Amino acid sequence: MTLEKAYIVLGFLVFFLGLFGAIIRKNLITILICTEIMLTGANIILVTVDSILKGTDAQIMSLFVLTVAAAEVAIGLGLVMAIFRLKGYEGSSEITHLRD
Amino acid sequence: MELIVFIFLAVWLVLSVVGAIIVKNPVHSILFFLSSVLATAGIFLSLGAELIAGLQLIIYAVAIVVFYVLVITTIPWEKIKKFEGIYLGEFLVGLPFIIISVIFIALLINKYDISSIPVKVEITDNVTRVGKTLFTYYLFPFEVASVILLIAMIGAILLGRKEE
Repeated sequence: MTLEKAYIVLGFLVFFLGLFGAIIRKNLITILICTEIMLTGANIILVTVDSILKGTDAQIMSLFVLTVAAAEVAIGLGLVMAIFRLKGYEGSSEITHLRD
Repeated sequence: MELIVFIFLAVWLVLSVVGAIIVKNPVHSILFFLSSVLATAGIFLSLGAELIAGLQLIIYAVAIVVFYVLVITTIPWEKIKKFEGIYLGEFLVGLPFIIISVIFIALLINKYDISSIPVKVEITDNVTRVGKTLFTYYLFPFEVASVILLIAMIGAILLGRKEE
């Protein structure tokens, strides 16, 4: 296994650890942090592929991923704060309006 | 030398990520996430992507982490102590899934031969190449990204205002 492949496997490991955290955490803010970790893993894979191909396209994709991450954290934290202020919820198991 | 750098950065990154998803307190979790962002910037530097490493530091380590800490400080944590920590059942179900997925993906990646990919070699540095490509071929997506940020700003203002 060459070093670039090891970087890609590291990116997948970080992505799946973020997915795992988004599944198991109770708190809404830490779920958002785990989403950011997933985006970081995707960025690592993109930049590694670019370093293999000696190109620039995947780096520009990872720049757009950074943009979407910034937009996501603004909207996500706004939603979490709105849910907490209007309903008093802070745990993911309390939000069951669509299920009931 | 590259192998030593990779092992150091990979161990640092994985330990930070595991810490961020395991620790109870959200403030400690965001500090572990900051550590993982620094490790990721080191990985980007070691891969030769200086522009993305700098943007990672500026956007994640400064803007996003400070925003999280500001929001966390406005929530009274004494009332919601019962929502710290993890769901134990989901932890036990999810752990084998994650381990098996990573092992199979690693086997698949190991099977593929990356030395057969044709490579175009350019001599200019990373920032020049990324800037040239971004402002010629990707000019329209770049402008659309600014519209995304504007809509996100409007949405955050709408969500954050007080109800009449």
